[in-house]
Amino acid sequence: MKRIFISILLFLSVGSFLYAESSKIKVLTTTEDLKSIAEYIGGDRVTVNSLARGYQDPHYLEAKPSFMMKAKNADLFIRIGLELEIGYEELIIDGSRNQKIRIGQPGHLDASEGVILLEVPTTTKVDRSMGDVHPMGNPHYWLDPENVKIVARNIADRLSELSPDNSRYFQGNLAAFDKKMDEKMVEWNEKMTPFKNSKIAIYHRSWPYFADRFGLVVACELEPKPGIPPSPGHLKEVIDIMKRDKIKVILMEVFYDEKPAQFVAGQTGAKVIIVPNSVGGSKEVKDYFNLIDTIIDKLVKGLKG
Amino acid sequence: MKKTLILFIITFLFIPLAATDARGNDAAGVQAELAALRSQFNEMKGSYEVRINQLETKIEDLAKTYSISATARPQVVTPPQTTSLGRYFQSFNPDVSVIGDFVYRNTDAKSTEFRNQFQMRQTELAFSASIDPYARGDFFFHIEQEDGDWHIGLCEGYMTLLALPIDGLQAKVGKFKVDFGKVNKLHLHNLPWVDYPNMITNYFGPEGMSEPGVSASYLIPNPWDKYIELTGQVVNNRNGVSFAGAEGTSLVYLGRLKLFHDINEASTVELGTSLATGSNDKGLGRFGSDMTTLEGVDLTYKWRPLQQGLYKSVTFQNELLFSQHNRPFFDDGTDIIDAKNINSWAGYSSLEYQFAKRWSAFGRYDFSEFPLTSSSRENAYSTGITFAQSEYCFWRLQFKHTNRNFSKDSNEVWLQCDFGLGPHRAHQY
Repeated sequence: MKRIFISILLFLSVGSFLYAESSKIKVLTTTEDLKSIAEYIGGDRVTVNSLARGYQDPHYLEAKPSFMMKAKNADLFIRIGLELEIGYEELIIDGSRNQKIRIGQPGHLDASEGVILLEVPTTTKVDRSMGDVHPMGNPHYWLDPENVKIVARNIADRLSELSPDNSRYFQGNLAAFDKKMDEKMVEWNEKMTPFKNSKIAIYHRSWPYFADRFGLVVACELEPKPGIPPSPGHLKEVIDIMKRDKIKVILMEVFYDEKPAQFVAGQTGAKVIIVPNSVGGSKEVKDYFNLIDTIIDKLVKGLKG
Repeated sequence: MKKTLILFIITFLFIPLAATDARGNDAAGVQAELAALRSQFNEMKGSYEVRINQLETKIEDLAKTYSISATARPQVVTPPQTTSLGRYFQSFNPDVSVIGDFVYRNTDAKSTEFRNQFQMRQTELAFSASIDPYARGDFFFHIEQEDGDWHIGLCEGYMTLLALPIDGLQAKVGKFKVDFGKVNKLHLHNLPWVDYPNMITNYFGPEGMSEPGVSASYLIPNPWDKYIELTGQVVNNRNGVSFAGAEGTSLVYLGRLKLFHDINEASTVELGTSLATGSNDKGLGRFGSDMTTLEGVDLTYKWRPLQQGLYKSVTFQNELLFSQHNRPFFDDGTDIIDAKNINSWAGYSSLEYQFAKRWSAFGRYDFSEFPLTSSSRENAYSTGITFAQSEYCFWRLQFKHTNRNFSKDSNEVWLQCDFGLGPHRAHQY
C-alpha cells in the first residue's frame, strides 16, 4: 500500500512538473544575446534555446536538421534580422513545419524592430562588389546597450501578446532590465569616458555600434570589405593608417583567424584585443551585462597600454 | 420663558470662556506637535537633499553619456523613399539567380564530347518565392549545349505545401529530383566534386533522376526529439537507365527514411535508407516480372568546430546502391523467351577536408556495376582541390582515373569555375 501511495505521489509530481514545463512559452533565438535578453524578460515563464553559440560567427550557421527539431517545438522564434540569418533561417523554419513561427505570425519576432541603425546603405544600388554588405543596415546593433533596451521591449511586448495573463510579469521584468541597464550605462560610461575619441582598428564591422555608443572612432578594418578576408595589400594600408594615427588596439571577435591581426600588431606595436561579441563567446560571459563588462574591461586595459 | 432666556444668555457667555480655557490647555501640546513636525520636516529635508544630490550626480553622468553619443554618433541616414519603395515592390518578386558552371576537361578517353575543350557545361536559372501563406514555389531551369545547340530544360519546378493539417507533414508536387540517397538531389554547382559519382550516372543518368510526381514527408515524433524523416514519393516512370525510359507510362514508387543525430556541437551523423521500385518495361504492360528495385544506404559524418568553423571542416560521405533488375528477353520483340534477374551494386566514399577559409581538398573512390550487367565494373579514383573565391564563386581542379574491366582505362582532368548572380535559396545541410 505504501509503495502504491509513493508511486502515485511520484507520478503526480512528475506529471505536474511536466505540465509546468509545457505551460512555459518555448522561445528559440538565433543568437545567445537574444537568448540572454529573453531569459531576463521571460523569467520562469519561458524556456529559451539558441541556435548559434556565442563563440561562432552568426552569419554562417548551417541549417542542421536538429535545429529544425528545436524550431518545431518553439512558440516564439526571435531573430536579429537585417538579413544576418539569411543563409539558414528560411530553411530551418520551412524544415520545422511549424506554422506558428513563420514570418508574419505572432510567433516570429524580428528583434531589430525600432532599433537605431547604422550603416544603412544610401547608394541606389547595393551589390556584392561591396562585399557581404547588408542592404538594410549593419546587423550588429546588439552591441549598443541602448538598442538592447529596444530589443528587450520588443520581446516583452511579444511575450505579453502571446501570454496576456503574464503581461504584468513580463513588463515588470522589462522595467527591472531597463533599470539595471541604466545603472550599468553609468558605470560603463565612467570607464570609457577617458578614451573618448580614441581611434581603434577592428577586424570585421561588428563594432561600429559599440564604438559609436562609447565615443570611440573606428579608423580602419582588417577586412577590405565586409566578409572578405584580409589581403596583403589591404593590410599594408591598415598598417600605414595605424602608424599615422598611433592606434593602440585592434579589436576583434573570438572566431576569426588572429594571424593577420597579430601580423599588423607586430608591425605597428598595437595590441590585439580578442573579445566575444556575443553572450557565451567566452566562459565568463553569462549574460548581456557580462558581455559589455568584458568588452569594456579588456578594451580599457588595451587602450591604457 | 424667563428661565430659558437666562439659561441661554449664560450658555452664550460661557462657551467662549470654555473655548479659551481649552485652547490654553492645548497650547503646550500644539507647541510639542510643532516641534515634532519641525523635526520631521528637517529629517525629510535632509533625506531629500541627499536624494536630490544623488539624482544630480546621475543627471550629470547621463549628460556626459549623451554628450559622448551626440558627438560620436554619425547622423543616422534614412534611405531615400524611392529605395524603400523599391524594396517594398521587390519583395513581391521571386528571388532570381543565375549560376554558371564552366569547365575545361582534358581526357584521354577518345569517345567523349567536349574532349580537351572548354565548355559552359550548364547555366542554372533559379526562381524561388512564397506562393501564398500555405506554399512556396521553386523553379530551376538548366541551359546546356547538346550536339552544338543550346537547350533549356526544366530540371525542377515544384510547389511545397507548408501548411498541411497534419503536424509534421509536408508535401511537394511538380517535377523534382527524387529523394533517393544523399547526392541525387544536388545540382551540379552544389556538388563537392566536379562530377557526379559513377553510381549516380550509371544508375540514374548524367544528372541523376528528376521526374514529375508527388512527394510527402513526415517528421516522425519520437521521445528523443531526434530528426527522423520519412518520405514517400510517386513519380513518372521515365528514367531510361534503371526504369522504363521516355516511353514509360507507369509510375515509380520511392521511400526514404532519414535519421540525423548531433554527436556533439561540432559533429553530426546522418543515416539514410532509400527504396525505389518500378517497371523497367516501356509501359507495354506485357510482363509481370519486369521490375527494377533499388535500395540505397547513405552515411554522412560532418565535423565543423564552431569557433573555427570558418576555417576547418570535414565531410565524410558514403553511399551504397543495390539494384535488382528483372529483365525480360524477347524473340523479335513479340514473345518473351527468358527473364533474367540482374543483381548489381555501386557506391562511393568521399572525404572532404577544409583546411583554410577558402581552401578545401577532397578525394573520392567510386565503385560501380551497371543496371543491365553486373559483370562490367568501374573503379574510379578522384582527387582535387577547391578554392572559394567568395560565397558566390569557386574554382576547382580535379583529377580522376577510371579503371574499367570492359574497356580502356581513362584519365580526366577538370578545371571548373562556378559563379552565381542574385539571391539563391540556401542549400540543405
